Amino acid sequence: MGKKKNLLTPTTFSLLHATDFADRLLYKIIPPLKAGMIVLADRYAYTAFARDVARGVDRQWVRDLYGFAVKPDLTLYFRVPIETSLDRLLARRVKLKFYEAGMDMGWTRDVKESFRLFQGKVLEEYDRLVEEFGLQVVDATGGIPDQQRRVRKLMARELERTDG
Amino acid sequence: MVDQQPTADATERIVQPGQFYGAGLPYVGMETYPGKIIAIEGTDGVGRSTQIRLLREWLEVQGYGVIETGWTRSVLMQPTIDLAKASNTLNKLTFVLLYATDFADRLEKEIIPALKAGFIVLADRYIYTALARARVRGVDRAYLRSLYGFAIAPHLVFYLKLDVDALIRRVLRWGGMDYWESGMDMKLADDIYESFRTYQGKLLREYSALGEEFGFRTLDARQGIDRIQEELRSQIGAFLGASETPAVR
Repeated sequence: MGKKKNLLTPTTFSLLHATDFADRLLYKIIPPLKAGMIVLADRYAYTAFARDVARGVDRQWVRDLYGFAVKPDLTLYFRVPIETSLDRLLARRVKLKFYEAGMDMGWTRDVKESFRLFQGKVLEEYDRLVEEFGLQVVDATGGIPDQQRRVRKLMARELERTDG
Repeated sequence: MVDQQPTADATERIVQPGQFYGAGLPYVGMETYPGKIIAIEGTDGVGRSTQIRLLREWLEVQGYGVIETGWTRSVLMQPTIDLAKASNTLNKLTFVLLYATDFADRLEKEIIPALKAGFIVLADRYIYTALARARVRGVDRAYLRSLYGFAIAPHLVFYLKLDVDALIRRVLRWGGMDYWESGMDMKLADDIYESFRTYQGKLLREYSALGEEFGFRTLDARQGIDRIQEELRSQIGAFLGASETPAVR
């Protein structure tokens, strides 16, 4: 829907993702929460806060836009430098996606360079979010076992806190 | 989810025509464009499209460039909105966000370019119908004000007002009551007639409240087409005549 042919503006991009999120929140997230289950969300509203602001929408506006969202009990932010994520994507021979590389911004025609510029701004926003919303940072440059150990520790602590 | 309250309590603030209601579109920036936005609001069946067609002819004869824009007519969203309506799966929040997306698309792709070029934008409904529908469904007002903070305040908003009884007779004469216009999603009544009556009554009260908030110019839509058109032309003519930055002539 609309992602083809460079049709989206930063605002319609943001609104469409919020619409999709609202739908998932109401049907996939809130019912299991009510049933006392744990919801593991691969990306949440914070992705939008970082990505949409990197595209130039107003910082407060996008936070207000997601005002209907449930605040997560624990948010993990897997942090890697741009070059690492770029290397990983390219090593898997993944073609960089148009919007993920910020090609819609028209900053450069070089996809890799556009990715660096755009994701650089996204990372800056994430750093701001760590402070504003208390995200737990997981160093994602290391090995998977190390990351998983940290994730389990954070999660165990959170579960203990809420159950106790 | 966000700890602080939405900041866009714009009811306190007078927004000048041609300016953003709230946060705006920072990546577009805001200058004063030479064009003008004239919006015609009102429920279904009040004759908005007829009036707009006549206004367009009248303005073009005088040499103004004119474009029309209408609710849910965006290239991006119209098929999605039609599909969602047909399957009745919309809950109130996705409804609100789909409408906002449609409006944002038309604002950036049609309305702002036309304003830059000095055109008159005739809007067959602006953001107020979406606000009325959402408010009737209990969506938070401060949330809506912030959401539509990217909208540009029109230079003139005319509200063609019709009471519920007159509206019902017109709608029935023109093909009957449909699911959404009757507010059947709100489960106000089992019977479509009762639902329509209750729903449209609530909508009209919201339009009145919005009229105060946003300074609508209210016209009695029970009058004949010609009489309404005459009134519109007289008010628009006075506005354009007095305007410091006339559109392209």
